[in-house]
Amino acid sequence: MPDQTPDRIPDRSVLLDHVSIRFGNFTAVDNANLKINSGEFFSFLGPSGCGKTTMLRCISGFSEPTEGKVLIGGKDMAGVGPNKRPTALIFQHLALFPLMSVAENIAFPLEVRGVSKKARRKKADELLDMIALPGIGDKKVSELSGGQKQRVAIARALAVEPDILLLDEPLSALDLKLRQHMRTELRAIQKQVGVTFIYITHDQGEALTMSDRVAVMSRGVIEQVGEPDHIYNRPRSAFVASFVGENNALQGVIKGQSGDLAALETPMGTYEARVGGGRKYKAGDEALLFVRPEQLIPGATENAFHATLTRQEFEGATNHVFAKAGDTELRISMVNAGLAGSLPGQGESLSLGFQPMNGTILPVGHMASDS
Amino acid sequence: MNRHTLFGGAYALAFFSFLFGPLVIMATTAFNSSRFPRVAPWECFTTGWFGELFGNARLMEGLMNSVIIGVGVVALAVPIGLAGALALSELPPKLRSMLYTVLILPILIPGVVLGISTIVLWGQITRGTGAGFLYNGYFLTIVGQITFVSAYAMLVFIARLQRFDATQTEAALDLGATPGQAFRKILLPFMAPAIGSAAFITLLASFENYNTTVFTVLSESTFTTALASKVRHGTDPSLSALAVIIITLTLVGALTNEAYQRRKEAESGGRASRSPLYANPVTRALTHPGIVFAILVTVIGGITYAGSQYDSSVCEAAVLQEKLDRQEELRAEQRARIEAQEAEQGVTVPKPDSAFGGAFGGVGTPAAPAAPKPESPSAFGGAFGGITAPEVDE
Amino acid sequence: MKQLKLAYTTLLAKHGMGAALFVAISVSLWVVLFITLPQLSMLDYSFRFNLPADQLGTDADHYTLDQYRSFFFNNDGSVNTLDIMILVRTLIAALIVTVIDVLICYPIAYILAHGAKGVAARLMVIGLIIPYWINEILRAFAFRVLFGSTGVVNTWGMQMGLWDAPVDFIRADVALYCGLAYAYILLMVFPMYNAIEALDHTQVEAARDMGAPLWRVHWRVVLPMAKPGIVSGATMVFMLTAGALAAPQILGGPSSLWFTQLIYQWFNESSNWPRGSAYAVVLLVTCITFVLLMMRVFKVSVGEIGK
Repeated sequence: MPDQTPDRIPDRSVLLDHVSIRFGNFTAVDNANLKINSGEFFSFLGPSGCGKTTMLRCISGFSEPTEGKVLIGGKDMAGVGPNKRPTALIFQHLALFPLMSVAENIAFPLEVRGVSKKARRKKADELLDMIALPGIGDKKVSELSGGQKQRVAIARALAVEPDILLLDEPLSALDLKLRQHMRTELRAIQKQVGVTFIYITHDQGEALTMSDRVAVMSRGVIEQVGEPDHIYNRPRSAFVASFVGENNALQGVIKGQSGDLAALETPMGTYEARVGGGRKYKAGDEALLFVRPEQLIPGATENAFHATLTRQEFEGATNHVFAKAGDTELRISMVNAGLAGSLPGQGESLSLGFQPMNGTILPVGHMASDS
Repeated sequence: MNRHTLFGGAYALAFFSFLFGPLVIMATTAFNSSRFPRVAPWECFTTGWFGELFGNARLMEGLMNSVIIGVGVVALAVPIGLAGALALSELPPKLRSMLYTVLILPILIPGVVLGISTIVLWGQITRGTGAGFLYNGYFLTIVGQITFVSAYAMLVFIARLQRFDATQTEAALDLGATPGQAFRKILLPFMAPAIGSAAFITLLASFENYNTTVFTVLSESTFTTALASKVRHGTDPSLSALAVIIITLTLVGALTNEAYQRRKEAESGGRASRSPLYANPVTRALTHPGIVFAILVTVIGGITYAGSQYDSSVCEAAVLQEKLDRQEELRAEQRARIEAQEAEQGVTVPKPDSAFGGAFGGVGTPAAPAAPKPESPSAFGGAFGGITAPEVDE
Repeated sequence: MKQLKLAYTTLLAKHGMGAALFVAISVSLWVVLFITLPQLSMLDYSFRFNLPADQLGTDADHYTLDQYRSFFFNNDGSVNTLDIMILVRTLIAALIVTVIDVLICYPIAYILAHGAKGVAARLMVIGLIIPYWINEILRAFAFRVLFGSTGVVNTWGMQMGLWDAPVDFIRADVALYCGLAYAYILLMVFPMYNAIEALDHTQVEAARDMGAPLWRVHWRVVLPMAKPGIVSGATMVFMLTAGALAAPQILGGPSSLWFTQLIYQWFNESSNWPRGSAYAVVLLVTCITFVLLMMRVFKVSVGEIGK
């Protein structure tokens, strides 16, 4: 919603200043320190239990940080209750009020602010137009479809005219097609209203497609913040590399580093790859090599694995091919070349190479499969 | 499996016969003109006991008191029960189970103990403060009943509260409502149906209560205590008439509620919505809870009017005459037998009226000694005495 | 105390000042004024003499064990077997009624949870509730009508030639036991039903499929599941039966007093409140001890009751 004073752009940023949240001995969020910019579509991505929902509740005011500060629009939010913050939250199960009509739901924020009935209805109808559901104001919530409920929840949250809209996995209950459609729609609404969106999800597809920037969380720690392609192509920790997208991981020992590239000795051979996060290694350090399935090129002989093909999974546009190199099973994604192409046969041995810039060497740490 | 279903059905049948048999028999006795409530022998069909019931001043006065007390109890126990349920929902587990035990205890404590403790406490308070106005039957009964009736209300609220989605309150707060607004606009409307049923249950519990009330009501009487003292000091079928009324009200309530529930289910799109009953406009209208209620009330009203016009006096007079004749006949028989025995032996006179007196004593007064076996020598006499002798009441 | 305060602040944050105060005040009143104080007051009373009003507060008004002594011993020092036996008989009778209720309610609870469907199940629930709406006094009265010497049972029994003369069911306490068992059926069925309903019916089918006879399925699969429900129902039935007053007054034979009737007599007929209080304390303590003992034996917590 545009601000009343057009000469001043409202500050819709959120600053997490060394925020930690503990419950007894359990640390749900550990020293989160980041700034979410005004008007940004920002996602917290992580597996369930990583602390992202706790973070969201802390921003919306349902809990206070144990340490650190939350600043919204530059103002410290300590002691400000959820009903006093310029935020609106869309709950995982939407929390629409079943005893009220659609219009009453949308106008609820105005009702509690003492806006007259007529003005309330007018605003509700405006918002219904905006979410492209005109004329359903008098329906019961139970009569709506899943996607309609979703949009009504968004309209209700926007009726508050918030600076920050917080979304707690709101698409998780929808079926696949509708989910993909709603991604586009959410992004369009965000562009239209210019409000800062903070989106919580465990679905990397959602996070990567919609967001301006993504924060990957694990075990209460923000592992990496960055634009989606950075997160995918330049992971800074073993967790991020293994959680976002598919990845092949090999453990080995550093033989030497020169600038951005390092050599890692593994049981299958020695490989050259880019050093993740600009770190410095000594010879003899243990490290992990990550190579994405689509970066392994069959037939390439440099920087290559010698493997035996074990099985294939066909998935339309992509073929997932599995090959054994030593004790490690490698995963390779190949674009379906159609009838003109051909698939390698089972038991065939082949060489799988990769560009050193497309492999990442990262320090040993916990992986997505460890949790 | 089929054999088991059969067994289950048979058992259910037997079980519900045990549940309803006594009620049906009691209700039937309301229409028998016999002074003692019974179905056999059937004397005359009568509706006179209903008149007798409404003519009972003590019961009617008790009814008024019960209504006053019931309203007081509902007004206090429902909010207290709601508060209890809300408190339990916010406590940490350990404290929660402790408070739950304390609050549920009044349901388990014998009612007489609650009654006694209430009058003892308020007696002391009255003596200590001189506030004599507190020491009256209405106040003490309301206070005494609240103690445990609130727990019933609380159980209803707990059940409803468990189905409440707490994010609804959070959503309201997030949308700018104050906590108080969220409570009034979200939680209370959600609890509304439970408030209704809690009010109903507490009213019923208050109305029905005897064990506590018999102490706390002091010199007054409620409907139930008046009823109990009537039952203890001799019974007549006007109580059965009361049972008929209560059973009828209960059935009307249950049927109307059932129609309402079914309809609600159908409207929310359950299996019932596809039933042909709701597709046809005529049957659809007929199954509306309001219509169901109206039909039931009309039918009962009609029956009541017809019943009030019914005169059983002719039949009753005939039965009375028959009884007198029979009594006379028996007496004559007895006399003849005694004379015959005296003439034969001229020694001891047997206990008079043995079969007659024994069976007679068993009627209505539990204090009477167990009925001795009829002393008639013949088998025929024994059977005869057992079945037909106790014709006379009082 | 700290936790109470925390709960209060949560309430305050969630539902606001009005609601938090309302909850705090109502619950405190209920716990203190309605539940705790009366019991303490009764306890206090039971340790006093039965004095006329003008002697209250004088030197004669001091604590004594007199009221309890008179429960255990007669004036001449011999053991008061009469009153003690009444208490014991009451407890045993309550136990018998409880067992009867468990036995007759278990099949119904099982049928309701796993056999009956749709309309039949609804009718059964309504059928269970309706008798409970009829006044307690009238329910007892119905059994008096049924079991009186010209009642239906006697008439039919004699017509069928089962017995010759009217049997005094009231004196034999048959009417009383039936009436009490009848009165609390609902309180037994519903906790049992709730417990059994939670059982996945496929478990029963699986056990049957493996060839277990029906009784074994119940013993090993259904009963363990129903246990908390049974204990919850049994506790309520036992306490209510032991504390019943109306049914024994109406259906009890002249020779078998219920302990509550004794209390009633001390209060309302002898006007000896301290004695009545002492007897009430005895009843309360005995019943609670008994129930706690049973819960310990069957390993169930109080929290299960009322669910």
